[in-house]
Order: sequence, then C-alpha cells, then structure tokens
Amino acid sequence: MFGTIGNIFKRQRYYFEDDGNMVVDLDPTAAIEKHNYETMAKARQSKSFPGDEMIVNMGPQHPSTHGVLRLELVLDGEIVKKCTPHIGYLHRNFEKHAENVGWNEVIPYTDRLDYLASMSMNHGYCLAAEKLLGIKELPRKVEYLRVICAELMRISSHLMAIGTFGLDVGAITPFLWAFRDRERILDLFEWISGARLLYNYIWIGGLARDLPAGWLKQAAAFLDDLERNMKEFNRLLSGNHIFIKRSADIGILPPEVAINCGATGPVLRGSGIKWDVRKDEPYSIYPEFEFDVPVGEGRYGPVGSVLDRYEVRIKEIEQSIKILRQAIAQCPEQGDVKEAIPRRMRPPAGAECYVRSEAPRGEIGFYLRSNGTDIPDRVRCRSSCFVHVSLLDEISRGAMVADMILIIGSIDIVLGEVDR
Amino acid sequence: MRQYFKDVFNGLYTILIGMVETWKHLFRPAVTLQYPHARFALPPGTRQQLFCNIDDCIGCYKCARICPVNCIYIDTVKAKPSEDLGKASTGNPIRQHVVRFDIDMFKCCYCDLCTTVCPTECLYMTDKYESTVYERNNGLFHFSKYEPALAAKMLAEQAAEEAAAAAAKAAKAAAAKPKAEAQPAHA
Repeated sequence: MFGTIGNIFKRQRYYFEDDGNMVVDLDPTAAIEKHNYETMAKARQSKSFPGDEMIVNMGPQHPSTHGVLRLELVLDGEIVKKCTPHIGYLHRNFEKHAENVGWNEVIPYTDRLDYLASMSMNHGYCLAAEKLLGIKELPRKVEYLRVICAELMRISSHLMAIGTFGLDVGAITPFLWAFRDRERILDLFEWISGARLLYNYIWIGGLARDLPAGWLKQAAAFLDDLERNMKEFNRLLSGNHIFIKRSADIGILPPEVAINCGATGPVLRGSGIKWDVRKDEPYSIYPEFEFDVPVGEGRYGPVGSVLDRYEVRIKEIEQSIKILRQAIAQCPEQGDVKEAIPRRMRPPAGAECYVRSEAPRGEIGFYLRSNGTDIPDRVRCRSSCFVHVSLLDEISRGAMVADMILIIGSIDIVLGEVDR
Repeated sequence: MRQYFKDVFNGLYTILIGMVETWKHLFRPAVTLQYPHARFALPPGTRQQLFCNIDDCIGCYKCARICPVNCIYIDTVKAKPSEDLGKASTGNPIRQHVVRFDIDMFKCCYCDLCTTVCPTECLYMTDKYESTVYERNNGLFHFSKYEPALAAKMLAEQAAEEAAAAAAKAAKAAAAKPKAEAQPAHA
C-alpha cells in the first residue's frame, strides 16, 4: 500500500499514497520541514505549478541574512519565483515589557530595538516622551549633543551597512576598513556614555552624562580621518567596475511601489524620492544645519537598484560629516545637561502622541499613551525594517538566488527592530 | 563585442586602483591589538561590572526599584533604637542592616540607571569586563557582610516582631471598636 519514496534524513520520511497524495511522516519537532513538505504537497495537488519548483529555506542560520531571518524561497532552477519572509526568531516582547516599567526605564529597552543604532532609538523615544510630558525647551547643549550623537550613530550604522554589503558581494577588505572607522566611533561613544553598543545615553529631558573635556576635539579629528578614509573606500569599492556591473541591475524597487509599501530611509531615497524627516518634518535642531538629501540617480542602470541604495548610504555619510562639522563648531561647552530632566514623570491621563524621527535605517515612530501613572499605558514602535522585510517579495521576484544575498544586504535590516 | 572588451578593461583597471589603495596599507601601523597579551585602555567612567561598596549602603531600595530587569536583590532589617550603625561616607545615616545585597550579573543589562539613583554613590560600575565564571551560581554576586544563616535569623526575628505588632494593633483596634460603637448608643 505504502511505498517508501525517500529517506532523506534519519527521522523524516515521506510517502505517496496510491491516489498520489503525499503523506509526511516526521518527527514533530521538525516543524519547518513538515511545513515545506505540506506546501509542496498542496502545490502538487492543486497543479498550480508543474513540479520543477523547489522550496529552499534561506536562514535562519544563514550567514548572510544579517540576523535570524528565514526566507522561504520558491525557486525555478536558480530563479526566485516567490519569497516569503518568516520573522519572530528574535522576538523579545518590547512593547509589552514597556508597559511594566517606568517611562525612563523603557530607554534601555529601546537600545535593543535597532542595536546598531541605539542612539537614534533613544532619541526617537525621548522625543515622543518629551512631547507627552510637555517639555518644549531643552538646553542648547543637550540638543547639540543629541544631534552629534545621532549623526555619529548614522555614520557608524551606514559603515556597517556598506561594509557588510561589500562582504555580500565578495569584497572582504572594505568590510575591515569600515569596521576600523566604526571602531573609532564606538570609542567616542564609550568615552561619552560608558558603553560601546547599548548606550542608554539620551534621557527624557536631557542626557545621562556630561560632555567630557576634549571630546569634541577628538570627534573633529575623527571626521578628518573619516573623510580621507571614505575617499579610499570609494576608490576601492564604489568605483570598482565589477562591483557596479554586479549590482546595478538587480533588486529594482520602483518609486511607486516604495511609496505604496511605506518604505522610508535610504530604501525610499534609493528609489529617487526626496523624503527625509530631518528636512521635511524637522525635529530637534536640524533646521539650523545645512545639508542635502541624497537620492538614487540610477547612473549605471534603472533607478532603485541595489547599487542606488548603496550609493545613497555613501552620500549620507558625507552629509552627516557636513552636519557634524557645523554642530561641533557651534556646540556650547558649558551648561548642565541634566537640568531639564523632570523629577517626576507623570503625563496627564489619556495623553497620547506619535512622533517620528529619522533613524539610519528609516523612520522610527513611537506612539505613546499615558494613563496618568509612572508607567506607560501603551508603547508602540513603528519600525522601518519591518516594512522593508515585507518589500522583499516585491523586489526579489525574478532574481537569482545569489542576488538574494545582495538584496537583503541592500535593504539593510536589523532583526532586532523587525521582531522587537 | 566592443562593450565586452571595454568592460574587461575597466574591470582590470579599477581593480588595479583598489590594489594601489590596499598596497599603501602595508606600510601603515596596525590598528589591531593582540588581545589577551595587550589591552586598549578604557576611558574613565566606562560601564562594566557592577560593584557595591556595602559599608556605604543605606538600604534605600532605589537601585532595586529602578532596575529594568530586576537583577538587584536586597533584604533589610530595621535597626533597633539602641543600635547605632553610624553614617555613610556621604553623611547619610544608616538606619537598617543590609542583610542581603545580591546582584545577578547574568541578568544585568549594564544600563547604568542604578548607579545614577544611588544617594550615597556606593553602587558603581567598575572597569572589569572579563566577568566569565565557571559555574552559573558564581554569576550572582553577594555583597552583604552578613552570613546567610544570620541574615535568615534576623529576617525571621523581624517578621515575628512585625507579626506581633500587627496582632497587637488588631487587638487594640478590636478593643476600641465596641467602645466606639457603644458610645452613640449611650448618647
């Protein structure tokens, strides 16, 4: 009655019944494989595709998926027909946790959202909490230091993004160079906040620590070095003809799709749309600085390709250096960074707000609601990476499996922010 | 065909440009350090392992309350009026025995909130970052000077005293209640 067709692994067998139905006999722990076999069996039954297709799981242990992301790829030979992202491997229950700790105790948790851009997450949350608490005027020194930290964080995050993107293409040296420069930024952050990755530095109404003497001077010296290093980096990777040819035609994200899906940050700007929260809906003291919003130009192929997103990041680093030079020159050395921190944080009951700000990977929005106590009633985080993961299916259809790595690298997701 | 050879030429030429850049790096000093043998100096105020100077601790529970991950465990016993526990180095009077002050460094998220609220600045972060231990139990750091047996005894005594006080209060309230009820009846 039953014939054993395959004995793939020790404990996993599948049979075909006489009427052609596939029966999966599995160890119940192998849920992923079971799901795949069932999907295949269903597809065979419905004759929706003729049987040449193959389902391949990319991740969650794949070294190039930038975290614990699982992509279920339906392949026709080497061509991706469908890509379904599966998330949740890094879920830490941030939003529910935040309903059980005080307003200022949420900040260490926001560090862990986008752990490559903790300062920007702190900044976004504090902007929202300050709006809720009615803190309008902050000391100038606090504002300047916040902008300096957020822009340094943007450079650090983009260095990581372009470095690992190079690694995805197969270039190892740019990755090491990017990390060498990122290390300098982490040293600066360690000096100012005491920590290297999860800072908890920007607090509601102020900063955790005062500015150390000589910090601004070191930051300015770093910017000089970075400018020189970026020129080297561009000569090595961005100008490489093989690299350009490899990435100019894949992962096209048309501008309409980008807007419809709600993409933000470098992914949206890579498609040629000039939208930056710092410029179009200014917060903090960004209107005082002079900078441009770089967009993808499609110099070597269609607009919105993987290369455009990469180039937008390179140009954003240059713009961040520009902002930092102005901010460091104007930042006051004197002043108390803790004077505006409220002693008791109790927003009025029922108060709510949604504030968005520009993190390196896109807009980070925080919706906060208060019930009049020391503890938030609701903290909701709108993350850009989540939206970008949902874009994957749209931009990867028709691409090769090897291109998938580049596409994931170019949208630059951090799974900590996707799963929260 | 022409485009093909142009691409080949451009590919080789741009690789050469990159090779020149990498070649220059051979003559620059190294940015890495051979870690276990040499270390980078840490800046002042770096946030690594927590340490509590228990002589200055007044048992105010502020650090335990603000900790987002609840990794500080404190038990205190109130000092009797006859006892004088002295003062912390900042001048705050110590009014209770801190019989237990444990920090679970496996849970700690190094957020630095506890050290900022400490009124006597007895809790601070040291610059020790190699905190690997061989057993899971060793991750729980004990700072209290009281032996666990003594601490348990003191806590039991305090609990018994409190229970006795509560019982006395309840008895007093029960005794006062009929009187209060009786009064309007007389009037």
